[in-house]
Amino acid sequence: MHITDRDYQRAKIFRKLKKFLWLSFLLFPPALILITFIFLPMASALWYSVYEWNGLIRGEFIGLDNFRKVLLDPERNWFFFNALKNNILVFVSLMVIQNGTALIIALFLAREPKGARIYQVVFFLPVILSTVIIGFQWKMFLNPVFGLVNKLLNTIGLNEWALPWLGLPETALPTMILVNAWAWVGFPAIVFLAAIHRIPRDLIEAARLDGGSEWQIAKDIIWPLMAPAVTIIVVLTFIGSFNWFELPYIMAGLEGSPAYSTDMLGLLFYRTAFGSISAGGTEFGVGSALAVIIFLLIFLFSIIATKILTAREVEMG
Amino acid sequence: MAQINMLDITKRFGDLEVISSTTLEINDGEFAVFVGPSGCGKSTLLRLLAGLDELTSGEIRLNNQRIDHLAPAKRGLAMVFQSYALYPHMSVYQNMSYSLKVAKEPKNVIDEKVKRAADILQLGEYLDRKPKELSGGQRQRVAIGRAIVREPKVFLFDEPLSNLDAKLRVQMRIELTKLHKALKTTMIYVTHDQVEAMTMADKIVVINEGRIEQVGAPLELYKKPKNKFVAGFIGSPAMNFFSGKVNKVSSTGIHFILENSDTLLFKKCQKPEVSVGENIQFGVRPEHFIFMKNQTQTINGKVYAVERLGGETYIYLNSKTDNDIIVHCSGDREIKVGENLDVGFSIKDCHLFTSNGWAIDK
Amino acid sequence: MSGIEKTNTVRLENALIQIFLATAALFMLYPIFMMVLSGFKTTPEIFMSPFSFPERLNTENFQVIWNKTDVPRYFLNSVIVTLSSIILLLVTGTMAAYAIARYKFRGTLMVSLFFLSGLMLPIRLAIIPLFIQLKYLGLIDNLLGLIFIYTAMSLPATVFILTGFLRSLPKELEDSARMDGASELRIMIDIMVPLISPALVIAGIYSAVPIWNDFFFPLIFIQSPEWKTLAQGLTSFFGEYSINYGVLYAGLSLASLPMILIFIIQSRRFIAGMTAGALK
Repeated sequence: MHITDRDYQRAKIFRKLKKFLWLSFLLFPPALILITFIFLPMASALWYSVYEWNGLIRGEFIGLDNFRKVLLDPERNWFFFNALKNNILVFVSLMVIQNGTALIIALFLAREPKGARIYQVVFFLPVILSTVIIGFQWKMFLNPVFGLVNKLLNTIGLNEWALPWLGLPETALPTMILVNAWAWVGFPAIVFLAAIHRIPRDLIEAARLDGGSEWQIAKDIIWPLMAPAVTIIVVLTFIGSFNWFELPYIMAGLEGSPAYSTDMLGLLFYRTAFGSISAGGTEFGVGSALAVIIFLLIFLFSIIATKILTAREVEMG
Repeated sequence: MAQINMLDITKRFGDLEVISSTTLEINDGEFAVFVGPSGCGKSTLLRLLAGLDELTSGEIRLNNQRIDHLAPAKRGLAMVFQSYALYPHMSVYQNMSYSLKVAKEPKNVIDEKVKRAADILQLGEYLDRKPKELSGGQRQRVAIGRAIVREPKVFLFDEPLSNLDAKLRVQMRIELTKLHKALKTTMIYVTHDQVEAMTMADKIVVINEGRIEQVGAPLELYKKPKNKFVAGFIGSPAMNFFSGKVNKVSSTGIHFILENSDTLLFKKCQKPEVSVGENIQFGVRPEHFIFMKNQTQTINGKVYAVERLGGETYIYLNSKTDNDIIVHCSGDREIKVGENLDVGFSIKDCHLFTSNGWAIDK
Repeated sequence: MSGIEKTNTVRLENALIQIFLATAALFMLYPIFMMVLSGFKTTPEIFMSPFSFPERLNTENFQVIWNKTDVPRYFLNSVIVTLSSIILLLVTGTMAAYAIARYKFRGTLMVSLFFLSGLMLPIRLAIIPLFIQLKYLGLIDNLLGLIFIYTAMSLPATVFILTGFLRSLPKELEDSARMDGASELRIMIDIMVPLISPALVIAGIYSAVPIWNDFFFPLIFIQSPEWKTLAQGLTSFFGEYSINYGVLYAGLSLASLPMILIFIIQSRRFIAGMTAGALK
């Protein structure tokens, strides 16, 4: 049987078509899901923010009016800046308390003490629990009368300290920050530990032989070489702080009680978008604008922080 | 019957042409070896045959039927890869039977074919093991077994012995040659090792930079290399080359002078196509140097290194010529570093090449 | 400093470290322990003697939860949503990762960037359009809506993890399978995917935990009680049993149980999985 050149060309084209169909088959379902449920909504969010909304019905194009309402309208912007202040507070506090402790834990675990593996598991345990569970659990523990915390304080004689932790504007947010730190310290601890493990043994041992103290070694060798992990944790902590929703929702309620001392951008967004008892009906337009603003805050910080922190990162190997 | 014809094959990767207008015929039952330096295109040529890469232009025929439009599995070929490419998560049996399973052959047929291949290669007791439990040599046999099971018309081997240690390599060379005699199937074998080529091939194809330099039986390539590349590639240690100039051309041969030497040499040539004053290259293999006294043609040099292998010795000389000279001699010759040596050679055993590298006809 | 002194300093340091770590570990475990313990006490018992062991292992609270509340239903919904999401995620994620990792075609880079860019987009902030869109698709108050959202959210990270692993497989395996006559689909299913099974587990765990624990999306999209997931259902559960601390603690313990169990059994994979995203 003699194959003509045309048959040959046809076979080639057929093969190319088969490859195209196969790749399309592979890529189509995941791409469809991504576009439908992520890209499209995100693009829409931007789009919606420049329109006026009446409930679920889109009204006129109003440009940056929604943004103005959020940032400049005196009735509203107090809420925005209050929540923003709280989010920043959360971020800074968590960086120091949660991530600082995590760093110490990581440094200690890096020395491979007895039971290191068990410690890792124990510290990571609260990380895997739902924030809802943790929120409720601690809400109950912090109950002024029935909660374990105050009962413990009473038992050891510190009665003046048995405060209504979640009920006072001065203590509510710090309390929640501590709860978050308790729950999440394991995550940065493990990430830092992994980063420390990546540092070549020889470097640390050489420093020890040179007579460096543990503190010096940690400061001059370990800390700089951990830089990539630090960058990641800083960015993730920021994103997490600005996304705070479940914890305050469970422990203090949608309005950030008491007296909006625990109000967060996430809560404000939810109230604006879906309405609440105090805020009234849904305001999709304003809510969308708020969402865009929050997104920009996170995005800008991530980029700036990454740029600054990446400059610190040392190439290893 | 399995005759392969490659007609005017070209392969380009983007702008880079790796195979240029290559035509080659491999006869039924032949053991053909593609040999050449790294990157010369020999593996690419094999992959084109197998169908794993597409031709840019040209035709490939099996028994005069075109096959280059067919998928790899449909060409009637089987391939043994350099790293064996065994499926790590499958047992030896499953590895060997996979192609038959895909072809939906009935279980008893699969069983029979696998057992038969396993017997030929003595893999019977390893059928249930996974590749990682096997040694390198055993894994390679599984790879060969996988090819045998497919009952191909042509076997393709892509540097199968490169990953084995030296001793095993020698052993496997003989095993493969025995296998070829037993199966009598056409085999095409790619390697960069000219020793493998010389010892196993019925026909050697020397490839360099995407082009075939010479095709022929091993001894033919050894005795009558067509160009300087083949002369220098075949034979180990490599041939020694010296520069020279043509002094006089006569009807019987060429008179020439070696550089840095006064000796006038004469080589018989039937149709010398060189002119007086032209530069030529003169080649002598290390094993063709003679130590008998009073040789007419000699080269003088100072010994700077001696390598004793016991049964043979290699002597390295600095001479007045540009290149160092490697001389091969018997193991019990007494030579010391620093000695001045005159080595003789017979013109009969030497090769002349033009400055372009083409052999000047004997 | 002499050799012996140095060792003593080191020994002291190690001892201090152990004390610190042990205290911290205790601090981590104690609240969880108390939560579970209190589940076995009656509510009056909790109020009176909060720190002591229960008089007897009282399973009354757990029985109440099992029989009288909707918690089992919420549990089931969470299982359905999480399992379905993971399955859909791993299948589609593998498909996309395979196309990117094993084939060269015009636009390979674009496609992989497409999937990766999803990592940076905080889907929560697009909740409004998402709500409208789901309403349009009829997926509000429907577990299927949640499944699709969770799958979409987890795809970028999953594709990222799987692409890395798939790329590391040698090309010769593919070539060999092609010579054996396997179709591309067969090569993918018979050969390549089985060889990255650890990666599938890691990607699965990394995504499963946030999905199981999620509260935000069910809060917005699920209204009917019969479709609530566990995290969300706990809120109504808490509303109902607001002062029955015994039952409440029991509920929390039950809700934590699956994750804790899987975690203890598979702790190393678990930790590796959850930090995989951060460590790349």
